[in-house]
Amino acid sequence: MKKISLTVNGKLYQVEVEEDMRLLDLLRDKLGFTGVKEGCSEGECGACSVIMDGKLVTSCLIMAFQAEGKEIITIEGLQKEDGTLHPIQQAFLEEGAVQCGFCTPAMVLAAKALLDKNPHPTDEEIKEGISGNLCRCTGYAKIVSSVKKAAEYLNKGGK
Amino acid sequence: MSFNVIGKSVIRVDGLAKVTGKAVYPQDIYMDGMLYGKTLRSTVPHAYFTLDTSKAEKIEGVVRIFTAKDVPGHNAHGVLFKDHEVFCAQKVRRIGDPLAFVVATSEKIAQKAVEAIEVKYEELPAVFDPVEAMKDEIKVHDGTSNIIYHYKLRKGNIEEGFAKSHVVVENVYKTSMVDHAFLQPEAGIAYVEEDGTIVVCAATQYPHFDQLEIAEAMGVPAEKVKVINPAVGGAFGGREDITLQIHLAIAAVATGGPVKAVYSREESFVAHSKRHPEIIKIKTGADKEGKLLALEAEIIADTGAYASWAINVTRKSGIHVTGPYVIPNVKVDAYAVYTNNPFCGAMRGFGATQVPIATEQQMDMLAEKLGISPVEIRLKNAFTKGSETANGQILTESVPLITCIKKVADALEMA
Ligand code: FES
Ligand code: FES
Repeated sequence: MKKISLTVNGKLYQVEVEEDMRLLDLLRDKLGFTGVKEGCSEGECGACSVIMDGKLVTSCLIMAFQAEGKEIITIEGLQKEDGTLHPIQQAFLEEGAVQCGFCTPAMVLAAKALLDKNPHPTDEEIKEGISGNLCRCTGYAKIVSSVKKAAEYLNKGGK
Repeated sequence: MSFNVIGKSVIRVDGLAKVTGKAVYPQDIYMDGMLYGKTLRSTVPHAYFTLDTSKAEKIEGVVRIFTAKDVPGHNAHGVLFKDHEVFCAQKVRRIGDPLAFVVATSEKIAQKAVEAIEVKYEELPAVFDPVEAMKDEIKVHDGTSNIIYHYKLRKGNIEEGFAKSHVVVENVYKTSMVDHAFLQPEAGIAYVEEDGTIVVCAATQYPHFDQLEIAEAMGVPAEKVKVINPAVGGAFGGREDITLQIHLAIAAVATGGPVKAVYSREESFVAHSKRHPEIIKIKTGADKEGKLLALEAEIIADTGAYASWAINVTRKSGIHVTGPYVIPNVKVDAYAVYTNNPFCGAMRGFGATQVPIATEQQMDMLAEKLGISPVEIRLKNAFTKGSETANGQILTESVPLITCIKKVADALEMA
C-alpha cells in the first residue's frame, strides 16, 4: 500500500493504493468515476483515456502510484455544475456522434485534448487527434464533424 | 401534415447520459458485498475432460466453484437448438467452452483460482474444415449429423438456362470469420430479491429470451427471473446468445449474491459468436446482351461448434445469393455445418453480407467477358417494382435500386 494524492476534476484526493493497481481501477473502483471505460486493457482501444496534466493518456497503462501529484480530467469534470454541457459534449449530441456511447467519454476527452492545443484543427488533424480511440458504431464521420462544430463553438467563446 | 419526429433531426434519448459519462453499462454497477466471478474455459477444440478443483477451492477468498453438476435445471441453452451446455459436462467442442465459474471475494482471487483448477483432457480428433465435416466421420455433437440445415431453392430449369447462355462464369469464393468486437466487453451482475426473484443485469440483445433460458437452466418459472438490460456498449448480433447470464444466476442463488463478472477483451473474443465463414461455389450465365439466364450456387456455412442462428443465416445467404437481380433459372443449395471452430451466429447482415462477395464479382466478370460496363449489366438485371425474386416473392413496393445505381454511377462518372 502506498498513499498518494492527486487532483481529479479540480478536487484533491488522498488515497491508499496497492502497488499493482492501475490508474483505471483507482478512478473507477475506488473513486467512482465510471465514465472512464475499459475496452481492451492494453492501450489499444482508448476507451479508458483521461487527460493527465494536459495530455491524453490511456489509464489502463498507467499505474495508480504514477498519478501522484497529477491533475486528471475525466468526462465527469466537463459538465458545469448548473448542468450546462461542455461545447464538445453539446456538439457530439447535436451531430449524432453518439451511438452505443461506450467510446464517447474518451472520445470527448480526446477532442478536448486536441482543441485545447489546436483551436482550429483541419480534418486531418482531427482524425489524428482521435486516432487512439476506437469506435465500432459510428464510422467516425459524425465524430469528426462534431469536433469541427465544437471548435466553432469554442472559438465563438463558449457555446 | 407535420410530424414531431419524422423528417426532423432529433437528439437521442440516451445521448445526454452518454456524453456526460453517466450512462450505466453493467460493469459500472457496484453493489455492497458483491462477489466476483471468473470463467474457466477449454483450451483445446475437442476432448473429454475431467476437473480437479481441490487446490483452487483452498485459496483464501474463494467462495465457490460451479461446474455442470451445479446447474439446477437443464444444462442447456441456445437460440434455435439447445446445443450449448451451461457448463460442459464431459466433452468440449471448441476452444473457449465454459467448464467452471469461480466465485471469490475479489476479481484477482477468482482469476488465481481459475488458473489453479487442474484440467485433464483426453483429446479427440477434431474437424475444422466444413467440407470434411459434411462427411460426418468426426461428429461434433454425438448422435447428430454435422449438417444441421439444408436450404434448397429451385426455379425454372438451370440446364436450359446455361445452354442458352452466351457467357458463363464459374468460381469458388471463401469469406472469413469476423468478430463483432463491440467496444464494451460482456459484463453483468446478478442478485436475488427478497421474494426469491432472480435478477440478472447484463447487456443483451435478447432480454425476453434470456429470461426463458435462465429460467430453464435454473429450473424455475420464467416469472421468477428478471432480466435488466442497462446501457449496451455495441452488439451487432454478438449479444444474441447467452454468455454469462446463467453463470451469474447460478452463482447469485447459491451464494446469496450479488455476483458480478466482467470479461476481458480476450475472453470476449472466445465467449460470443462470429460471422459464419462461407464457401460459395457459384456459376452464373447471361445472354449476349448481358441479361442473366441462370445461376447455380452451393453455399457451405461453417457454424462452428454450435448452431446459434445458423439456420436463419444460411437461409438468408441462400436467398440473397442471386443478388438483387431477376434470374429466371436458379438452383441453390445452402448448408450449415458443425465443426470444432468458434461458433457462429448473428452478425450484421445475418447471411446477406457474405454472398455479395461472390455474386457481385460474378457480375463484374460477366460484364468484362461481354465487353459491357459493370453498371450496364446491373441496370439490365436489377429488381424493380413488380419483379419476382428467385424464392417467389413479388416486390410490390419501393424498389429504387436502379435510381440508386444511376446516382452512384453519375457520382463516379462512370455511366
Ligand atoms: S482499455 Fe485502455 S486503451 Fe483500451
Ligand atoms: S458509439 Fe459505440 S463504440 Fe463509439
